[in-house]
Amino acid sequence: MSFAERMLKIDRRIIFLVIGLCTLLPLLYPVGLPIRISPEVHGVYDYIDSMPEGSVFLLSLDFDPASKPELQPQAIALLRHAFKRNLRVVAMTLWVTGTGLADQILTQVAREAGKENGKDYVFLGWSPGGSAVIINMGQDLYGTFPSDYNGNATKDLIVLDGVQSLRDVTYAVSLAAGNPGVEAWYVFGKDKYKFELGGGCTGVMAPGLYPLLRSGQINGLIGGLRGASEYETLIGAKGRAVAGMDAQSATHVAIVVLVAICNIFYFSMRRTAKQQGHIGS
Amino acid sequence: MIFFRRQMPVLITLVTGLLFAGQYYVPHPASEQLLTTVTKWLQIVGGFALVLGVTSLFHLHAVKIHRREAGWGYSFVLYTGMLATIVLGLMAGGKESTDGSPTAFGWIYSYMLVPLQGTMFAILAFFIASAAYRSFRARSREAAVLLVAAVIVMLGRVPLGEYLIPISGDVSQWILNVLNASVRRAILIGVSLGAVALSFKIIFGVERSYLGGGKE
Repeated sequence: MSFAERMLKIDRRIIFLVIGLCTLLPLLYPVGLPIRISPEVHGVYDYIDSMPEGSVFLLSLDFDPASKPELQPQAIALLRHAFKRNLRVVAMTLWVTGTGLADQILTQVAREAGKENGKDYVFLGWSPGGSAVIINMGQDLYGTFPSDYNGNATKDLIVLDGVQSLRDVTYAVSLAAGNPGVEAWYVFGKDKYKFELGGGCTGVMAPGLYPLLRSGQINGLIGGLRGASEYETLIGAKGRAVAGMDAQSATHVAIVVLVAICNIFYFSMRRTAKQQGHIGS
Repeated sequence: MIFFRRQMPVLITLVTGLLFAGQYYVPHPASEQLLTTVTKWLQIVGGFALVLGVTSLFHLHAVKIHRREAGWGYSFVLYTGMLATIVLGLMAGGKESTDGSPTAFGWIYSYMLVPLQGTMFAILAFFIASAAYRSFRARSREAAVLLVAAVIVMLGRVPLGEYLIPISGDVSQWILNVLNASVRRAILIGVSLGAVALSFKIIFGVERSYLGGGKE
């Protein structure tokens, strides 16, 4: 077996070790490389920044714990910005397994910002039906969520004063790890009830949402940990996403190097095989 | 009886399909009220679907445990986990915490579900790296194009990549905004036209496989 063949059949545990070290070391010893802000993330930031105080901002945390590392920093950054702008925050989820996580995130950021539940923000929780929940909220918000996550009657909440349906929402952002998510919010929500919509998603999903972005169906897109780190930079509150970018940088470069090495060995093997074939003939 | 099993569902599908396709274009209060009512039904049906799904899962794994089929131990773990979560969830009224302190249900959620799902997702990074090393080779021109695009986007999406190759960020943005968006849009339009065609086939009773008996 040639050297190239041996290298191509390298024990995968060595690759695991390389990736493990590339993730761990930058987290322990952060470098803090500068992060360039993309127009997609600026779109969401600028819209929230231009909303007058007291406007209704709906944040749908449509993800489960599997996507927590990417979407939790996005949610935290968005909520910090919304609370800083004194917007009325209405949070909810279309994913049942994300309910507890969404509640934890909202409670944590609201406490940090000194906001009061029911007055400055509300967590509506989860309701069955998937995309049908969006249509139902567009028709009658109180019928869809008669009570919030803590059991308080939504009709009595100060934060929902003057809000009857999705038509009264100024801006909505769906942070999605799949379906129902950003697309469902556009198709069943924005298109019919005419509110502005932004999106956030995992890095894997982001390329799939570019058609919505380019056509203006969503006015901005926060993609993966990179998007979250850009948002954290914009609001001047660097958190987990910025810290994680060094690790992601190292891992991406490591994978690119591994792919390059694999191709060098592959072409070297192919050349050797061709030469041997030529001599053989 | 055949009428109720065959013709009736097709008739309901035809009427409701046409009615709600048209409803979208009629902003009259009566039409909006109709939508409100039907979406409420949808939510209720969604709730029942959840119960049906859980019941079906219970049944499937109960049979596996009863017959001692291969891997029945895993079914037992699933059964125990689900039962414990349901009982504790009902006891806590579905709340993860009360007055700031976590309930038993919240403990399961925060210290079992969250780390387990996170771990499953995190493991992917290791397998992707290993798979990329073994199979991401420029065997053909098409594969080479894919490889080059992937490398540029991977570098352009992280600060270190942009630092090493400053142009990678702009090229990556162009690939995502122009090449990726146009191709995705083409796929999306194709899928949507397919969905419209399938909807018409279902509404007009051409496609009846959802009834369970194929095309008769």
